[in-house]
Amino acid sequence: MSTSVLELQHINKEFGHGHTAVTALADANFRVNAGEFVAIIGPSGSGKSTFLTIAAGLQTPTSGKVLLNGQALTQQSEKQRLAYRFNEIGFILQSSNLIPFLTVTEQFKLVDKMARRTFQKSATLKLLDELALSDVKDAYPNELSGGERQRVAIARALYNNPSVILADEPTASLDTPRSIDVVKRLADEAHHHNKAIVMVTHDQRLISNCDVVYRIEDGKMTRTD
Amino acid sequence: MYLGLKEMWHEKLRYSLLSGVLLLIALVVFMLAGLANGLSNGNRQAVDQWHATTVYLNKNANQTLSASQLTLADKKHIDGNTVAPLSNLSGTLRTSTNHLKTTASAFGTSRNSFLMPTVISGHKINGKNQLLISATLKDKGYHVGQKVRIGTTKRTVKIVGTYASSTYSIAPTVYTDTSTLNRLKDSPITTGKQQPINAFVTKKSQFKTAHHGNLQRLSIATFIENLPGYSAEQLTLNTMIYFLFVIALAVIGIFMFVLTLQKQALFGVLKVQGIGTSHIIAALLSQSVVMALIGIGLGLAITVGLAQIMPAGLPFVINWQAFGIYSLALLGAAVVGALLSWRTVAKIDPVVAIG
Repeated sequence: MSTSVLELQHINKEFGHGHTAVTALADANFRVNAGEFVAIIGPSGSGKSTFLTIAAGLQTPTSGKVLLNGQALTQQSEKQRLAYRFNEIGFILQSSNLIPFLTVTEQFKLVDKMARRTFQKSATLKLLDELALSDVKDAYPNELSGGERQRVAIARALYNNPSVILADEPTASLDTPRSIDVVKRLADEAHHHNKAIVMVTHDQRLISNCDVVYRIEDGKMTRTD
Repeated sequence: MYLGLKEMWHEKLRYSLLSGVLLLIALVVFMLAGLANGLSNGNRQAVDQWHATTVYLNKNANQTLSASQLTLADKKHIDGNTVAPLSNLSGTLRTSTNHLKTTASAFGTSRNSFLMPTVISGHKINGKNQLLISATLKDKGYHVGQKVRIGTTKRTVKIVGTYASSTYSIAPTVYTDTSTLNRLKDSPITTGKQQPINAFVTKKSQFKTAHHGNLQRLSIATFIENLPGYSAEQLTLNTMIYFLFVIALAVIGIFMFVLTLQKQALFGVLKVQGIGTSHIIAALLSQSVVMALIGIGLGLAITVGLAQIMPAGLPFVINWQAFGIYSLALLGAAVVGALLSWRTVAKIDPVVAIG
């Protein structure tokens, strides 16, 4: 049996107090293994984003435990969680998490600068080649198509060799063929690189490539294999 | 650093605009500093050349040389052999032959006193009615051997030598002996101990006696502060310079703050990815320091360039020490200006970047 990379146990998250309190997540349980591509699907306002922010250590749950590689994230300091996000989590955000004033290659260079190591040029070029981005390696994000941008974001998320990749509606700004392409690539990366990839989406059509699907509605999560 | 510099490179226009504003501020700072220094020099150069430490004036003279009336005999109140008498006459230096006219500050002292400037052409004063002129006057057409008048008197003196450029009260100086100056002043007494003078100057700063009769002891710094108009002039220019530092701080602070507000979403995304407040602040700091360095550097270069083509009448003198200090102050304003956005950056919640 493979081990869980990221595990959320009995997560409750409430906003506000007393009779104005809103429950965003109620006793949510979740786990993802290495090499697994997991989708979390639900309508807007169902608690998807709250789930993602808690899994990423951006918010602390009202109760419950977040375990990354068996370590409790919920007990770490702000600074430790910043380092955790930098080293252990790759992000793919809704529109694009690329930095507008850096070329595609420089986006990767920045990661190495922040990690205080020399630029891993061959690793960058290999990743770009894998995602069919070699032709645009010196382009700025605004010179790329939406699909290219999200592929760069996938490469950027993989680059730091994280334990888990969190993708927040990565196809929100793409048309259907491009969406399917991006999701297929995510599935490929999960299986080839043995990465745990979690994708949050509201689009039913995209889940056919996923190994595991969690449905979330009104803060309740249910798993369907 | 990398982040900050890459952004500047990509947004060249935006950042060069602020660099341009800083250049203008730096330019005004350096121009004012040069003028302040030039005016200061114009007022005090002669005093600085004395290399004296103490000046004695009449205690009722309100610390002003021209208002101080003493006689040579008052020297008895000061013990010390390096005391030199000093008289001053401000008047028009003119020639009868070719009608040159220049306002000059004439000083009279004893022929062998340390106040007498070192002659670079001609000879020292060795007789009556002889005059030494500053090199500044030589440039205006006065020369050794010429007979000149000072003030309204009809008496003439002969130029016998010149010395290095020297000014007092924004006028070039001339030196003569005490009795010649008294003759030029049409003073009734032009010989002996009862001759009027204005001050005693000495290199000694320590004296055994604390009381000096009708004399008041001033340090050379106090004497300079009390030169007519000197303090007011310096204070005005320096206040303008200090205020420019505040303006530089405000300009950089507001610019960086507005850019920070514009980039909140981007900074949120960076924080999500584990690039924290300290890295973002480092980027802002590197940007503002680079902009300031460019602005200051160009400002200095333009100032030095302008100094070459300035009309000779403009009292502008470059003072590298002051320029260095003011450059550092502008750089400091840039650093503080960037740091003003710290709180805003720290408060950006990465959660806004998700969902």
